[in-house]
Amino acid sequence: MSNPLQSLDPRINRLGVHEVTPETLVPKTGLDQFETYEAFLQKREGAKYEHVGPVHAPNEEMAFLFAKEQYSRRMTCVGLFVVKTDQILTTPFGPNDNSIYDLLPTDNEVVSGDPQVWEVFHLKKRGIQHHHVGSVSAPSAIVALTLAKETFGAERPVVNVWIIPESQIRFTSSEEKAIWDTLKDKKYRDAISYKVQDRIDRYKQGHPNLQSI
Amino acid sequence: MYGGGTVFENTGFKEIQQEDPALLAAFQERIDRGEKIEPSDWMPDMYRRQLIRMIEQHAHSEIIGALPEGTWITRAPGFRRKLAQMAKVQDEVGHGQLLYSAAETLGKSREEMINDLINGKSKYSNIFNYPAFTWADSNVISWLVDAGAIVNQLANAKGSYGPYCRALDRICAEESFHLKYGHDAVVHLATGTPFQRKMVQEALHRWWPPLMHFFGPPDKMSIHTEQLMRWKVKMASNDDMRQQFLDMYVPKIWELGLTLPDPILKKNLETGKWDYTEPDWEEFKRVINGDGPCNKERLGVRKQAEEKGAWVRRALLNPQAKYVQPLA
Repeated sequence: MSNPLQSLDPRINRLGVHEVTPETLVPKTGLDQFETYEAFLQKREGAKYEHVGPVHAPNEEMAFLFAKEQYSRRMTCVGLFVVKTDQILTTPFGPNDNSIYDLLPTDNEVVSGDPQVWEVFHLKKRGIQHHHVGSVSAPSAIVALTLAKETFGAERPVVNVWIIPESQIRFTSSEEKAIWDTLKDKKYRDAISYKVQDRIDRYKQGHPNLQSI
Repeated sequence: MYGGGTVFENTGFKEIQQEDPALLAAFQERIDRGEKIEPSDWMPDMYRRQLIRMIEQHAHSEIIGALPEGTWITRAPGFRRKLAQMAKVQDEVGHGQLLYSAAETLGKSREEMINDLINGKSKYSNIFNYPAFTWADSNVISWLVDAGAIVNQLANAKGSYGPYCRALDRICAEESFHLKYGHDAVVHLATGTPFQRKMVQEALHRWWPPLMHFFGPPDKMSIHTEQLMRWKVKMASNDDMRQQFLDMYVPKIWELGLTLPDPILKKNLETGKWDYTEPDWEEFKRVINGDGPCNKERLGVRKQAEEKGAWVRRALLNPQAKYVQPLA
């Protein structure tokens, strides 16, 4: 093997990094980056949960942690939940000025079995995020969608609907809410903590010959 | 935020001709009305491919861009700077994750994107093929590379693809910290001891040519991008973005009495545009094609990190796992 690459960075030199050559490539195979989960966030008590985006994770607990880092690290948050992407029933997208519920075929499927709780999310407009509208109790996702139409179908516009089984959701427990309490002493991450104009002005006063524009 | 100077492939007029003209026209009308496109909406194949390429390059730029700044975390001067430098690098890596997910909604898996980064098929922002010699270099990156990227990304956030816009909105919200932090750090050196001032002046001279390359080749040299602008994939021309960057930041550099290595750089009062010496575009091509001071190191480091983590990921993988593309 060739000699390790030389870097300005002593840490990199200690790693003994080699040049990438075609014969050393080991392409990743499927699932090296795990499954995807969708994350939903509540900004303050009483506010609606909103979809914030996906994370890749090997299990629910790690999905929750990654989502916490990715989506709530820098903003106010009081609640977060994750659910595996494949657990979400999605409708097709409808036109922007109408309700997708009106375009869905009426399904009179007879399903027996115990009802469970389904959380319903609407997208009002392409380009924004899905928000929570409420929940319904039904024996299947399809029946839940029909009930969602009866219960929340008056809203206009709705371009897309998601139906999520509550039993598959990993919620924030009440003890966990403390994870967001650390945010207050991290002022160094806020633009507002950096005020340079005074320093520039003082320097200019002390150096009247600086090039001026 | 590190995106900029995206390399597009030729928009292939022929391929667009093969799309259904009615669908194509309806698609264009939606974009003209300012509607966003979501993953399951119909889109021309060329739109999909160019977006994957652009968002993927942006994601790689965030990840690779964290390397020259990450280098300086352990040697940052003081605890406060170290905390801020770490927070910034963490933000950038998070941006990479958001962008990989946005690209993934178009049908390219994260595994394929990482493969293509390491095998050299996908590009990342060329500026990260240059080394950060000193702490001042790291500060110039934080301030001016991020400033350049903000110009580019604020424009792109008004683009047509929903998941990319959502990712950019999140990213831009964090960027203002990077810019202010970088400016603060540069001002600190520029108004400090003669040695500090010399250090930041030298770093600025080193980074100026790559910064001029940052937005990509001049419009007259760029491949045909009109179609991309009509589709709101590309939102501003390379030269327009470069002008905007010069307009916003050259005065802030000059006000500190720092110089830039371009004798003809000045704002032309008649045209309202900046005159500048064209940077060496041959060098740009050479570096982007692999022959820059840090290309090998950046990819080597990335490859090693992926390989060293592989056993952990394998150990964590649920044997029943099935891949599903993220939703939005």
